[in-house]
Amino acid sequence: MKKLAQMKQGQTGVVTAINGDARYMSRITSIGITPGCTISIVKNDKNRPVIVYTRDTMIALNEKECNNIEVQEGS
Amino acid sequence: MTDKNETVIALLSQPNSGKSTLFNALTGLKQHVGNWPGKTVEQKEGTFEYEGKKYVVADLPGTYSLSANSDEEMITRDYIASGKADVVCILADSSQLERSLYMLSDFAGIEVPCFLILNMSDVAKDQGKLIKPADIESRLGIPVVLFSATDKKDYKPFYTALTAAIEGQTKLKRDGLEAKYKQLPEYVNIKQIIGDLNDEHRSSMWLAVKSVEGDAPVIAQVKAKLDSSKRTEFEQAVNSIDKGVVKTGECKFAWIDEVIEGSVDTKKKSVEMGKFDRLITHKFWGKAVVVITILLGLIASFIPALPFMGIGSAIGMIPAPLNDYLISIGCPGFIAAILCDVLITCFSFVIQMLGFVFGVTLVFGLLEEIGVMARISYVFDNTMAKLGLQGKSVMPFLISFGCTMGGAAGTRVIDNWGQKVLTIALAWAIPCGAAWAVVPMLSTLFFGPGAAAIIAVILVVMILHMWLTAKIFGRSLVKPENRCGMIMELPPYHKPKWGALFRYVLGRTKETFLRSFKVVLIVAFVFWLLSYTASGDAAGSILFKAGQAIEPVTMLFGMKWQTFTAFIASSLGKEGALGVLSTIYSGVGTITVGSMKGAAVAANLNDLLIANISKPEALAFIFAITFNMPCIVALAATYQETHSAKWTSIIAGYYTATALVLAGIAYHVGLLIW
Repeated sequence: MKKLAQMKQGQTGVVTAINGDARYMSRITSIGITPGCTISIVKNDKNRPVIVYTRDTMIALNEKECNNIEVQEGS
Repeated sequence: MTDKNETVIALLSQPNSGKSTLFNALTGLKQHVGNWPGKTVEQKEGTFEYEGKKYVVADLPGTYSLSANSDEEMITRDYIASGKADVVCILADSSQLERSLYMLSDFAGIEVPCFLILNMSDVAKDQGKLIKPADIESRLGIPVVLFSATDKKDYKPFYTALTAAIEGQTKLKRDGLEAKYKQLPEYVNIKQIIGDLNDEHRSSMWLAVKSVEGDAPVIAQVKAKLDSSKRTEFEQAVNSIDKGVVKTGECKFAWIDEVIEGSVDTKKKSVEMGKFDRLITHKFWGKAVVVITILLGLIASFIPALPFMGIGSAIGMIPAPLNDYLISIGCPGFIAAILCDVLITCFSFVIQMLGFVFGVTLVFGLLEEIGVMARISYVFDNTMAKLGLQGKSVMPFLISFGCTMGGAAGTRVIDNWGQKVLTIALAWAIPCGAAWAVVPMLSTLFFGPGAAAIIAVILVVMILHMWLTAKIFGRSLVKPENRCGMIMELPPYHKPKWGALFRYVLGRTKETFLRSFKVVLIVAFVFWLLSYTASGDAAGSILFKAGQAIEPVTMLFGMKWQTFTAFIASSLGKEGALGVLSTIYSGVGTITVGSMKGAAVAANLNDLLIANISKPEALAFIFAITFNMPCIVALAATYQETHSAKWTSIIAGYYTATALVLAGIAYHVGLLIW
């Protein structure tokens, strides 16, 4: 189990939990990130948002808030 | 139905689903833009006719869900639940079908006839996705169309679905979704407490789901409707729920998967970034690439602007000969002056500025449409977050070095109102092209080689000004609890759809013209009245008398009445500051004309200025006009983008005051030096 922010470019996993305040959970759900969805890291540079790919969509996420998303690493 | 017997269609979708393309194509220029009552959110309505029937289209704000986290979301869901719309047209992006159907699943449970548009079929096709709308249609029980809103020739399927939805009063089947919700103990519990409670258009399922999600307005409404015996039970049930929105979100996507199962044929595509994507998002080069892209865009904006500027300045030639002619045929001087000095001069000024707005909207609308703007936002997100802004704010800032009005128009792409207003407020501190035309010239005139130092100081002051302004306004505009980090879709690059883009740009330019011409006209007229004298000798006018009367005060800021009058006039347009000084010192021309064109400057102006203005006063004047409000057209554009007269006047007042303070500081520093 890893935080999304700790994953490296090219890695893929399945979201296991979403934390954070109600507002954050609502926003992240409505853009398509929910427990059970497959997510891959397109880019994760220092001091930049993390770019992920899920449900056919590329999404940029604030680096710090990515600690709210837990992922089970897969292939 | 409106009282004029028009059918009302509401457009509902997540951002980037082509909703405005559809809206513009349906209504053309028959649009009305205003504010939602009591809100600063833009309300767009348009009309069209099809087969003899009249329709009103309400373009609802693009939001990701129907929760209650922002004004936009509240407006959208209240409008839909109010039943004002006869039919709701829900759009989804075919190329990202699963994700963009979230809006449909969040809508499910609101009992209003609806139909579903799977838009951007062309993009999906390019990506090798085969979608079978017929299967989806039978599962949802509403008309479903696969279609591309940019293809204006092929709107037949849209109209067919629209008519079918209205005639059949088609309601969304939601048993499948409710079955998913019923697997959540939290939902079962709440549903049991509220029973069949509903209001006209919101079903008990919808109210129960929103309660599970912890939606404060819905919870309050449900509580008010419940029997008092059940209120406490409901309250406790709601309070004990943890992460409700994540759980219902899983249900919604599980239902979406069922709905589209077997209807979408996807060839698995790898998720690699293109060459340009890798360059613009590069760790080191990204920022440079972004700045160069915007600057090239700025230059490109001048190309479509040039014809406007040509026409505008040609119109600007009319007043002088026309005035002479009118006087010669016996027209009263007063009327000739209103016509020539106010009406035509303003018109010429607005047309010239409009060219730039047209160019900026076109070029940066293009960058937004093809997907570059989202990358810009990504690259500058961390930097701009320090000012409480989002990455996209960097674009209006850079445009403002050319024209503040263009910068204000460019903030259209910022999706958060507070951040949009704050971006405009900061952009005003950036000296625009007109200031750059006047300031270096004045600096060189008075300070010779010292001008370079003055310009350096201006740039430093600009940065401090922006930082301080962000501190002052940031707290109320972008409240710390609303400062959420970036969650932004990076849409795939699209080929631009020129027709749709031009319809958008023309609509925007028309709106800007109407609004700014009104403002410019009023302000210029008042200013002209204050400076008008029957004899033509400006020294007798109200403005000059008032200026002289308050000179003891303005001298605190290092300005005599002449420079102070020029400072006030520079609020209309900075090009004009020199024209006004020329008028005052040489006694030639009228102030309104001078203040907008800066033309007809007396040949010996340089000598006049040096003879009449001391060095500290010159320094004060330079700072005063550099950091004064940019011009009235920028003021009008600010009002147009913020939709708030209150914030527009706050920003204008703030800039007038800070310009005076900066002038005062410059003057007193100047006194110490010279």
